[in-house]
This record gives sequence, structure tokens and C-alpha cells, in this order.
Amino acid sequence: MKILVIGASAAGISAIKSMREMDQDAQITMISKEKNIHSRCMLHHCLSGHRSQESIDFAGSNFCADQSVNWLKGVAVAGIDPQKKMVMLEDGQKLTFDKLLIATGAAYFIPPVPGLREAKNVFGFRDLADVKKIDALLKADSRVVIIGSGLVGMDVASALNERGIKNTVVEMMPNILPMQLDQPSARVYQTLFEKNGSDFLLSEKVVELKLDENKIGTSLMLESGKSLEADLVIVAAGVRPQTDFLEGSGIVCDRGIVVDDKMQTSQPDIYAAGDVTGLSGIWPNAMKQGRVAAQNILGQAVSYEDRYAIKNTINFYGCPTLSLGKISPDEDTKVCLQEDRNTYQKILIKNQMIEGLILQGNLDHVGFWQELIKNKVVVDEDTVFDIKYSDFYAVNEKNGSFEVAI
Amino acid sequence: MNSNFSCKTCQSADQSLENFISGLSVETSHHRVEGQSVKCGFGLQGICCRLCSNGPCRITPNGQKGICGATADTIVARNFLRAVAAGSGCYIHVIENTALMLKKTAQTKGLLKGKNTLKKLADIFGIQETDQYLCAEKVADAVLSDLYKPDYVKMELVEKLAYAPRYKRWMELDILPGGAKSEVFAGVVKTSTNLNSDPVNMYLNCLKLGISTGLYGLTLTNLLNDVLLGEPAIRLAPVGLRVINPDYINIMITGHQHSIFTYLQERLTDKDVIEKAQKAGAKGFKLVGCTCVGQDLQLRGQHYQEVFDGHAGNNFTSEAILATGGIDAVLSEFNCTLPGIEPICDELLIKQICLDDVAKKANAELKPFVFEKREEQVEEILDAITESYINRRSKVEINLQPEHGNNDTLTGVSETSLKDFLGGSWKPLIDLIVSGDIKGIAGVVGCSSLTAGGHDVLTVDLVKELISKDILVLSAGCSSGGLENVGLMSPSAASLAGPKLRAICEKLKIPPVLNFGPCLAIGRLELVATELAESLGIDIPQLPLVLSAPQWLEEQALADGAFGLALGLPLHLGLPPFVTGSSLAVEVFTENMKELTGGQLIIDDNAKQAADTLEGIILAKRQGLNI
Amino acid sequence: MKRIMIDREKCDGCLNCTIACISAHQEGSNFYTADLTGKTADSRNKIYFKEKEGYFPIFCRHCDEPECVMSCMSGALSKDSISGLVNYDADKCGSCLMCVMNCPYGVMKPDQTNTKMIKCDFCQDLTEGPSCVKACPKEAITVQEV
Repeated sequence: MKILVIGASAAGISAIKSMREMDQDAQITMISKEKNIHSRCMLHHCLSGHRSQESIDFAGSNFCADQSVNWLKGVAVAGIDPQKKMVMLEDGQKLTFDKLLIATGAAYFIPPVPGLREAKNVFGFRDLADVKKIDALLKADSRVVIIGSGLVGMDVASALNERGIKNTVVEMMPNILPMQLDQPSARVYQTLFEKNGSDFLLSEKVVELKLDENKIGTSLMLESGKSLEADLVIVAAGVRPQTDFLEGSGIVCDRGIVVDDKMQTSQPDIYAAGDVTGLSGIWPNAMKQGRVAAQNILGQAVSYEDRYAIKNTINFYGCPTLSLGKISPDEDTKVCLQEDRNTYQKILIKNQMIEGLILQGNLDHVGFWQELIKNKVVVDEDTVFDIKYSDFYAVNEKNGSFEVAI
Repeated sequence: MNSNFSCKTCQSADQSLENFISGLSVETSHHRVEGQSVKCGFGLQGICCRLCSNGPCRITPNGQKGICGATADTIVARNFLRAVAAGSGCYIHVIENTALMLKKTAQTKGLLKGKNTLKKLADIFGIQETDQYLCAEKVADAVLSDLYKPDYVKMELVEKLAYAPRYKRWMELDILPGGAKSEVFAGVVKTSTNLNSDPVNMYLNCLKLGISTGLYGLTLTNLLNDVLLGEPAIRLAPVGLRVINPDYINIMITGHQHSIFTYLQERLTDKDVIEKAQKAGAKGFKLVGCTCVGQDLQLRGQHYQEVFDGHAGNNFTSEAILATGGIDAVLSEFNCTLPGIEPICDELLIKQICLDDVAKKANAELKPFVFEKREEQVEEILDAITESYINRRSKVEINLQPEHGNNDTLTGVSETSLKDFLGGSWKPLIDLIVSGDIKGIAGVVGCSSLTAGGHDVLTVDLVKELISKDILVLSAGCSSGGLENVGLMSPSAASLAGPKLRAICEKLKIPPVLNFGPCLAIGRLELVATELAESLGIDIPQLPLVLSAPQWLEEQALADGAFGLALGLPLHLGLPPFVTGSSLAVEVFTENMKELTGGQLIIDDNAKQAADTLEGIILAKRQGLNI
Repeated sequence: MKRIMIDREKCDGCLNCTIACISAHQEGSNFYTADLTGKTADSRNKIYFKEKEGYFPIFCRHCDEPECVMSCMSGALSKDSISGLVNYDADKCGSCLMCVMNCPYGVMKPDQTNTKMIKCDFCQDLTEGPSCVKACPKEAITVQEV
């Protein structure tokens, strides 16, 4: 069987490893724009100088040999013909397949603010190529502005702080990391970042980037009327699924590629997994989607069920946080709070079920919490902070595996 | 199917004993080691506290203090002081009974065998009394009066017994003990719930208990026993399981209070008693030595050759001695009388009688010794034992080990007999030390345990290492029981010594390991140390002399150890005394003690390494003396 | 594969497994010297207690479908196809804590500096097997082939 995989990140690599577990003979080809397999979530460690390019290769240095994969690297896909079961590459090559997995991920998005898209010193932060471009321009006295204080923006800020490079983070919302944190927990990080060199402009919006005659951005105009000098602008304002090359292919897209619960697209034998589907934007889910797609490609009828995706961890300056689910309360949400000098814990309960939570400061043994949200477990708000995995402890007598007894 | 209880027994330095035990059909301590091989880490580190109902509290990553706020340092110190207080109490019990025995014997004008010792004690105490009975009574009273003082009144004999430079240092540290019994009380109070939490204060208290334990519990017990039972005399004697003679009615004695047997020992040679045995079909009665009281009897064996067969073995040999089937009764008066002997006695129909209720065994008859009733009590005891003999001998299989042990163990060594052997002065020994023929002296003392490699394993290995380095070993306690049974106290063991020590031993026909007898005789070793220091005009910590209790077992050993540290001696232990959970405790014992008393603790369960460390200390002390 | 089987009825909560684990992961340490209060006093196992129900020993299952491996974005966590064990390579770890979030049984936790993960390694460098199992006086945990 000839299998093509487009993309060399979480979903693609996970799919290939899963396929090889099940089938030693399938002929697998991987196609990617990137020339190196690397973990997007660790790019900031490269920017900071802590890690080499090789050391953020999450697949292992011998991946292709170990998994017997033919890898066409540094080449983009131009189009797909589902009828002919053919993939056309930008270099003119045409490859046929029995099964195809599209795992092209997402690309960063630059908002339509005057000057931003044209400027030569504005970058996203999505792959190694971005890191290299930024690194080439950075000087010890560079003034960097980061637009967006999401996880990517804060990763960049932490990397710059490690290098002692001055940076200012501009955020539209009143607190940083607004998707994951509330005001108090965000304040903790803001203080830590400030101590380490970052400045913040909150509830502030960029309205224009002024360019010089060489199309180099020089200063950012803000909605409040303030302006901000910048030698470099990094935009961390979100991503969009990479589906441009699917135009005219007949593969149905709606923001991302539409898939059924077998990860199959609207076209038979063509599957999609990872950020390109728009189902989630986090690593574990992309890995699992890749695995489910692989299983179905090889004829096992497995459904993608663990769809819970509103979850994240944050870890800066020794302070860890877990954020799950909905973190801003509605009128009838009960907010349970527990704080001490080292920890901040907030659990939102609605209709006796946990909607979301923020646990900051101590993440020992916290993995079970998302099971309670996913499975809509009824909890008692008076004792919710006492809940432990042992309350749902179950052991499969035959093989000793744990289960969550709900 | 063979009748072995279990094939899995622990190792023993004494291979033939190990083989014997592993083939037994009764359970012994050696069989139980395996089942207890998993130890509680909190217990080992001394960081479990059960002093209140909030507990047990243990120091863990999630609980770095007890509920009351006690730190690891406090918990360890409290547990340790409690243990030292209990250990001290044990030895103080022994000296109290011994002094009472001397007093009553003197009052009734009984036999006093150690006239020289009596005179020596009267001199030390400043008693001028020509009548031996009045003198003995005054000696006993002086001891008892100190023991019974409250803790806020200092004991009077301390200054008279202690070496002057040591007394001065103890006074500076404010650790001179009040009444010895009250000090035990104070130690127990101090360590109760939410009382003392100052570890350093508690460790100084341990030293104080060490002084009362050492001078009274150890040193004076020996000397009072010498007055009552006779002074040790050097001789060669048989040891090991071989000493059991099945033709006799055999009584195994266990404990630490030799004086309780004074009257019984005398009676056993009387004609009517021998006839009683003969009527039952035996040639007479014999005492078989076991544990420290057996060592005491061996030490004074010169005076009891007719009734004492020899020392069969130490604490963890006691079950094996009984398992030979050759023992008809056990008379016990103190520890180390293991609970493990109870089912063996039941199975082999061995009569058990306890003479002191502090050591009452669950299935034994209790007959607390009463001086005034000693005559009728001994008759009752002998009748019961004779009945046991008649009842059991036809029913029980006898499994003697005539090859075990040896016939030429040198015994009877004491501070006096050794000095006499040297010609009445320490000079010959000092000369040998100065010349380097003897590099130094190591007192290898204490118990045997079934950890640290197995029964007597570390003790024997360490001693072999030490003598090979030309270090003369003096031993007291159950350690002697192990060392003699493996032949290290026989003159032929000279071949295992380093060339210089070997030459001396061969010339004098003595072994390189000298047997001072029971653990009480640790007090005699310390007399030797004191006298050597005195002859040289130096303080004890300057001597090229080290102590080791490689296989210390019990709370008493910890109180002994506290005395060793108070004297300023380096003390090696094979395993830590449940204190390693406190970095402060480790610091105090291994480092700060050098400043406090001159002593130091060394923990090492590797024989070779420990011997190297001790040798290093000896060499450093020699250098300090310019020799 | 081999797994540490748990018989929670036998557990007495003595925490010997905890000391054993801490000690096994401190260079040159033993039961006497294990540092139980310092920066490396981390156990890979956890014992919970519930009134009337007793103790709940939690030990890494080295799952058949390990969620921690699925969530690892650095490649530090991987399931060994031969031994079945889930291995952790601290050098590769990016400290993102996703594995901690995703272990459904709450077994994983970060170290005290929140830079590396505390993950059962089955004491693979010891011939006698997992230290916790060896230290259990009740045989509440045993290594079995599953």
C-alpha cells in the first residue's frame, strides 16, 4: 500500500509511528515544506539559545531510517487530485497514493493592520525558518514589540528576556494569557516577566505600523494614541489552518478541513489530522488525531472520541499553571477559590459540574482533573478541592491498568 | 521431607553454627531475618514520632515537620535520648541489684571472694574500715546512696571514680549526673510530648546518662561482682556448643546479673545436691554459659571449675544452644533472653525459670530472687530442674555439636589480671605501644546482631582487619562470644595478626584478641584506658585507643556508647543508631563531639574501610604524642 | 510487558515505597541516608488515604496507550516497543508539563523546580527490579508479566 503523509509535525509523525506499529510493509512517503523535523512548541528554546536545532527534533534523529519512511523535504504541495489519487508538488513532481493523510498544520496570521503585512521586519513565530529570520536581525540593543500575549507571544518574550533583549508586549485584553488565565493568575506571570525584562501594554490595540522608505517598520501607533518605537515586531495573534493548496480539489473545508470521526475528509481515502482540521490547536490532540487517522488508514475502525481541547499548561520562571475549560464565569457559575502564598486555585462549577479551572503554583498529580470535566462528573462545591484521583480509583484486575471510575 | 524449619537463615561468621542452625527443625532468630528484611525507612532514620495521638508523624517530602511542629532534628533527638535513658535504666537496675546483694551478703557475713577488689574500692571511696563485712556494707551503701539521689543532687562517687581531666571537662559541659535512677526519670520526662525540643540540650543529656551508666552500671557492677564472686584469673577454657555435657543436668543461664547466682553456684558443689542429680540418673549439675552472665561466669571460671562447663555462645546463639536438646533448664534474670527461646523450650520440654520480673518470659515460671529466701528458693529451683531432666531426657532428641567451638580460649582478662600478667605495671604494654610493636588498642565491644552482614559477621571481619594492622583488640560483651567461638581468642589466632603483634602474641602465648567477658566489662576496658592515660600523664582522648561496637544491638549499647563519647573516645558503629534523618545529629556525633569531649562517632558497615579509618585515627593520635 | 501490580487491600501506608523511590533516585543514597526533605526528595509513587476505605497506592502503569507520550512535544517520553516501558529522557524534556496535565490518573508531577518531570523508570538500571517493590513489607506491590 502506498501512503502519502503531507506534513512533518505532531499529527504527521504520530500517524507514521502508529502506522509502522501496525504495518511493516506499507510504503510511506512524507512530504514537508520544512527541512527539519522540529517541535513548534520548543522554538522559543532555540531563540533563547538553550537548544540547538537538532535538539528540538521530537521524532528522534533516525526517524526516517527507523520507520522506513521516504521523506521529500523542503517542498510544498501545489494541489491534490482525489479522483486520480495524485498529489502535485510545486517542483512539478506528481505522486500517486492509495491513502493520503493531510497534516499540514496551521500558519500564523497577520492581522490586516496598516503596515504590518508589508513591513520587512515583522515576523510570525511558527517554525525554525521564523526563528532564523528573527535571530539574524536581533541585536543586543534591539527593541522588540510582541503583538499578542498568548502562549506563543509569551514564549517569545521569555526567550528575549533570557538574551537580555528589551521587549514590549501589546495585548488587547486587560490581562496577559487571556485564553488561559484570569486576572490574578495572569498578574503573577506579568510580575515575573516584568522582573525579567518585559514591558506590557494591556487593553491596547495596534492601529498602524509606520514604515520607512525601505519598508522597515519603525514605530507602532496604538489606539490610545501612544506610539511605540520598534526595531522588530513579532506577531503572535493566532493561526489559520493551511488549506490554500486544496482549492478546487473538492475536499470540503470550513475554516479547517472537515473530517468525520474517522478523521476522513469528504473524499474517500483522504484523511486529515492536526491543526489543519481546526479541531484543536494543541499538541496532544494533534498526536492523537494522527494516531486515529493512521488506524483508519490501515483499516481499523477507530473513532476520534477524546475531543476535549480546551486545556493547556503554562510554565514560566518556575511557576506552573494548568488551565482547563471555561475560565470566565457566567451569572449562575459558582466560583470556588483557594489560595496560599504559593498557589492559586480556582474551580468554576455550573449545575454541579466543573466547567473549568485554573491551578497555579503546584501541579503535582493534577492529570485527573480533565477527566472530571470531560465526563461531566457531579461534584460538591464544598469539597471540590479535596478531590484526588483516588476518589475515582479503579484497577483492571487482569492487566493492572488504572481506570477512572466515574 | 527433611525437618528443617526453613532453608533460609542468615549468615554467620561462625560457619559451623550457621550450618547447624540452617538444619534445625525449630525456628530461630536466624530464620526470622528473611521475613524482616524489609525495614521501615522512617524507623531507620529515626524520623517517626509516636509521642501523641496526632501521630505517628513521619518526616516526608509532603510533611517536613510533625503536626506539633517538631523538626526531624527534634524527633531524632527525642527518640535517641529516650533510648539512651532506657538503656541506662537497664544497667542501673543491674548495679542496684548487685549493690543490694553485696550489702545483704555483708550484713549476713556471707562469703566475699574478692578481698583485693574490696580494698581497692574502699581506697577509692575513702572508706577506712578494717572489718571486711563492715567495709563491704559501707561500699555498697555508698553506691546505693548515689543511685538513689534526686537528679538535682550530684552523685558523690563520680569525682572519685573518674579520671581527673575528664571530670573537669564534664563539669565544664555541665553534664555531671545527679542520682542515676533519677537521671533516667529526667531523660524520660524531657522527651515526652511537647517538652524539650532542643536537640543539643538532649544530646548533652545523653552524655550525662552515659557517665552515670558507665561509672555505675558498668565499672562498679564489675568491681562489686568481683568482691562477691571472685576476681578474674587468666586461663584457657573450652567454648562453644561442645561444652554441653549430656551426662549432667544442664542449666543454661542468661542475663547480666551474676550475683543472683552466687548462692546457687556454691550449692551445686554440695554433696547432697550432687546426690540429687545422681538419683535422677545424672552425674551432677552443670551451668552452661550463655549471653553476658555466661561471660561473667567464664571470666571468674577459675573459681567455679567444677560446676561451670564453659561458655556456649552469645545472645543470638542461645536458641541454637537450646536446640541441641542438651539443656534441661533456663535460668534467666535479665536480657538478652530472647522471646524466641520460648517456643523452643516448649517443644524441647525445657524448664524456664525467671529470677527477676524485668525479664519475665511469657511461658516461664516467675520466681523473683529474694535474698532472705535464697536457700529455699534454690532448693525449689533444683527440684524443678531435676524434674524437668527426668521428664524430658527420654522424650527429646539430643543433637550435640561436639566439634563446635574450641578448648583453648584465653579468658579471665581484667584490668587487674592483665596488669598482673604484665608484671604488675602497664609499662611493658606502654613500651610496646611506644615502640610501635603494638600500633594501638581497639576495644571491640557490644552485642551481636543479625544485621550488618549477619551474626557476628562485621565484628569478626573488623577484628581480623584490626589485628592484621598490629592493633591489639580487647573485647567485652556478646562480641566476645562470637570472637571466641571462631577461635580469635585462642593463642593460635596470633597467626592472623600483623607481624609485630604476632611476634608478641607468640612470645607471650596469648591471642591478639583479649577477652574481658561481658558487656559490663566495657567498664573494665575503660579502666584500662584510664590507667594507661594516668601512667602517661595525658588525657584519654589523646590515647591511640579506639572503641567499636560494630554490631551494637540495643538501647543499653547506646548508653554504653554515650559513655565512650563522654570519655572522649572515637566510637565506631556498623549501623547508624536511628539518627541519620537529622543532619544536626550527624553533625553533632561525627564532628562537634570532637570539640565537646574529644570523642567522635564513625559509622561504617564495611569492615575493611572501618578498620582503615580506625587505624588512621590511631596513627593521628600517635603522631599527637610524638610516637 | 512487566507491570507493578497493586493489591491495595494489603497496603498499610508505611510509605517505604516512597523512601525507596526517593533513595533509588539520589546518587549514592540508601535507606539511612535518603534525603527526604531536600530539593531531590521526589517520589514517583504516591499513596492516598481515605477514611474507612484505606490506602490507594498510585504507581505509574506504563500504559498500553500512554497519554503522557501522546502529549509530549519534545520526544522526551516514549514507549519502548520491546520492554513496554514508558521512558523519560530528561535531556530532551522541554518542561511544558503537558504530560502532567494529560495523565488521567494524576501519576505524573514536575520536580520541585518545575523543570523536569518525576517519572517512574522501573529502576531499569537495577538488576533486582523496582526499588519500591523490594521495599514493600506487605507485598502489596509486585512485578508481574501482563
